[in-house]
Amino acid sequence: MDCVATGGNVKVLAKAIHSLSRIGEELYLEPTEDGLTLRAVNSSRSAFACFLMTPLFFQRYQAPPDQALRCKMPIKSVQTVFRSLSSLERSVEKCRIEMNTEQSRLRITLHCKHGLLKTHNLSFQDCESLQAVFDKDSCTNMLRAQPRLWVDTVLHFPPSLEEVSVSVSSDRVWLRNHVEDDADSSKAMMTELCLSSEEFDHFAIGSQTSITFCLKELRGLLVFAETAGLPISMYFDEPGSPVVLSVSDSVLEANFVLATLSEDAHQRNHNNNKADGPRAGLPPDDFMCDDIDSYLIAMETSDLAGPSYEPQPQSSSTNHKSRLLSEEEDEEEESVERPPNKKFCSLFFGSVLPASSQLTNQTVQSQEVLASDSEDERQSD
Amino acid sequence: MKFRAKINDVGCLNHFTRVVNTITKLTKTCVVRLTVDNIFFVLSGKVANGGVSMWCELLQVNFFDEYQLEGVSEDANEICLEVNPENLSRALKTAQNAKSVKIKLTKKHYPCLTLAAELPSLSSISRVVTHDIPVDVIPRRLWHDFKEPSMPDFDVSIYLPPLKTMKSVVDRMKNLSNYLVVEANLSGEMNLKIETDLVSVTTHFKDLGNPPWGASQSQSQSRDVEAMAHARVDIRKLQQFLMGQQVNPTKSMCNIVDKRIIHLILLQEDVSLQYFIPAVA
Amino acid sequence: MPLSTQPQSGNDEYVLVASLDNVRNLSNILKAISFKDHAIFNATQNGLKVTVEESKCLQANAFIQAEIFQEFTLKEDVVGFQVNLTVLLDCLTIFGGSTVPGVSTALRMCYNGYGYPLTLFLEEGGVVTVCKINTQEPEEPLDFDFCSTNVTNKVILQSDSLKEAFSELDMTSEILQLTMSPSHPYFRLSTFGNSGNAHYDYPKDSDMMELFQCTKTQTNRYKMSLLKPSTKALALSCKVSVRTDTRGFLSLQYLVRNDDGQICFVEYYCSPDEEVDEE
Repeated sequence: MDCVATGGNVKVLAKAIHSLSRIGEELYLEPTEDGLTLRAVNSSRSAFACFLMTPLFFQRYQAPPDQALRCKMPIKSVQTVFRSLSSLERSVEKCRIEMNTEQSRLRITLHCKHGLLKTHNLSFQDCESLQAVFDKDSCTNMLRAQPRLWVDTVLHFPPSLEEVSVSVSSDRVWLRNHVEDDADSSKAMMTELCLSSEEFDHFAIGSQTSITFCLKELRGLLVFAETAGLPISMYFDEPGSPVVLSVSDSVLEANFVLATLSEDAHQRNHNNNKADGPRAGLPPDDFMCDDIDSYLIAMETSDLAGPSYEPQPQSSSTNHKSRLLSEEEDEEEESVERPPNKKFCSLFFGSVLPASSQLTNQTVQSQEVLASDSEDERQSD
Repeated sequence: MKFRAKINDVGCLNHFTRVVNTITKLTKTCVVRLTVDNIFFVLSGKVANGGVSMWCELLQVNFFDEYQLEGVSEDANEICLEVNPENLSRALKTAQNAKSVKIKLTKKHYPCLTLAAELPSLSSISRVVTHDIPVDVIPRRLWHDFKEPSMPDFDVSIYLPPLKTMKSVVDRMKNLSNYLVVEANLSGEMNLKIETDLVSVTTHFKDLGNPPWGASQSQSQSRDVEAMAHARVDIRKLQQFLMGQQVNPTKSMCNIVDKRIIHLILLQEDVSLQYFIPAVA
Repeated sequence: MPLSTQPQSGNDEYVLVASLDNVRNLSNILKAISFKDHAIFNATQNGLKVTVEESKCLQANAFIQAEIFQEFTLKEDVVGFQVNLTVLLDCLTIFGGSTVPGVSTALRMCYNGYGYPLTLFLEEGGVVTVCKINTQEPEEPLDFDFCSTNVTNKVILQSDSLKEAFSELDMTSEILQLTMSPSHPYFRLSTFGNSGNAHYDYPKDSDMMELFQCTKTQTNRYKMSLLKPSTKALALSCKVSVRTDTRGFLSLQYLVRNDDGQICFVEYYCSPDEEVDEE
């Protein structure tokens, strides 16, 4: 592979890497005839992100003759190359990326002003293709807004907040901070923001619903979308099935696929109910029992080439899993990386539970909260 | 017990936000006393917060366009709440540029101060952000802890130098020592001093002036004008006080009770802040 | 000790008196070498030289010429003492080191000789701060024996171009390798980190390169941890001269312009980490 990006596109590329660094610790690179794909997945595999830079994005793009080129490397090392965005903007004129399979080296050369040449030779590992299975076009709900709206929205929530709930009706969107109901957070400040459908470029709600997902990855995508000035589309269904955040223009496309909390976990939170029976029954630490992939993100790390894996029905999840994760990957997850986030595990256990239809109640409930005023408030001591 | 208030004016909102931000810098938790005319932010001098106490008072009419209060009873027409001022700060921060901000006492799963802001939007319909800030309602039997502290019978009262200058000096001294001696006399002189094995530093302020307190302060009237009253205090407490200041007050003063306490007073048109730092041996 | 200077009224007891209208002209340049607490002060009729050292492999010197000071009086040929530099910098910046034009802190620095503290009088806007910093007997600074006649390669660069490189250096690399050569790659900085290697090449005809005098290809390695402190000097400087001698010792000379447009120098010497086969 040999490609060259110039001018503002170097910064776009850098921002894409920074966005991906919010997701996972490794960058998966795969040059194909359709363009260069950059992917990342988080350690608990509940979030996946993929950028595709098409050949037109580059001044020159030469895909490898054989399609079998896939590699991964620590994302930190790639970030080092693009560390200072201001200096990129100020001084980098051209960025060349070459992949040398014999030496397992990725060479990134930055041609800067005053003739300064920065050459980074990064070592990589061969790997299987990483692909999430999702079909955003079949989602019943879709919102699209300019990055500014998303940025303004996220600003209302503290940086420490991990998850946010999004509820939609036919003409409104509510965002609320999601707080786990343990003793520590039972007295946390609750924030809710209500937006009118009119603020969105596109607002298509097939079913009133409420989903909860991680804010961190949305923030990551915002880093990119804001610089690129591209609107973000959000595709989603019911709680428990993934939400897809998507950005695209004529030369690039980005999809962030995030797990959402199942309805049960969701409901538990909103009732402020301390009993968390469903979670207590399962080993919270055991990543292998955590059957997340089937209904969240199916990671294909098999030998199959290309992203053409069929989405699997939820019922076959157990079998599905063993096929989705290659042996090598599993070992790595367990021995090298940090233990997966417990909260996430419980989040996923929650989503295995059968769904009950308390959804509509919830939306009504939240509207009530919004509409309440001092008249119906009682003495509180 | 009911409370609801509304701010429509951006200037008032910014002013109120600055007051709350100042309180946030001073303490992790404080008591908000709501009365018909005033809002008070109170920190009583418990050992847990290093014996520091605080009293901030503002006139509600200068901030709020609407203000309705029904206290616990007719003879005690006020409400006393314990809040985390940082929550309030954060809520107000997201309400910047709001068309209006409503604050009210609500009962959710727990008592809350609910702050609802109507924000400008890209459409004809405003954005509405609502923050439920959990509070503890303080029962009447504990109110006596949160009364206005009486003015200590000081030895010297002096106007403070520009707080910005004082802050740089105290910041640097903090790098060098854990304790600082504040001393002042009735000739308008104040010194800030530190001393360690490595270094001694003294900053001399002069011509600061001494506030006229009238005949009530008998102790200071018979005093030698050159004689310094001094107090050794935890430098972090003083730094915290100086760090929190977001506006230049019209008047700032320091009263020193020799070897006992320093009492800092900041006055702005409609806000007053008092801060007490006990002396250490 | 010969008393070659006229005793000045009011300063009788002092062996050294130096005053500055703007303390930043001293504090800024001291910041460029403040990577260790112990600083050796050496005052001569030429001015003040302040030396900081690290593990016998790195030495930084700041020179503040006598002319920079509004008053510089010495009663002995040489006055030396050692103080804690971090403490001194906190004292010098007691008023915050304002960069507002027209607002500056004036300094008067006095020393009484062995056993006495270094006394600073600082004044800004009528407020006076008096600092007494304990001194110790000065240690003998290392002699790096870096002699200009033994210099093999020398380049002078505008600092901006190196600032960028130093801010991006891969800190997982234990060493920084410097290649200077009359032919390609002319001037190259290389790191060898966990994730790979990186080379920064400056062509000799770059407009950032003010002087290029390389006679022989030389590749030397220096401990990253030793070179890192020099970024403080780099940040303050406008030009830097990079020299290596026949032994591979590195000399970095920084030209620093103060608030009043006067020029001071900061110099770093670093010994090479190991022998590298020349390419």
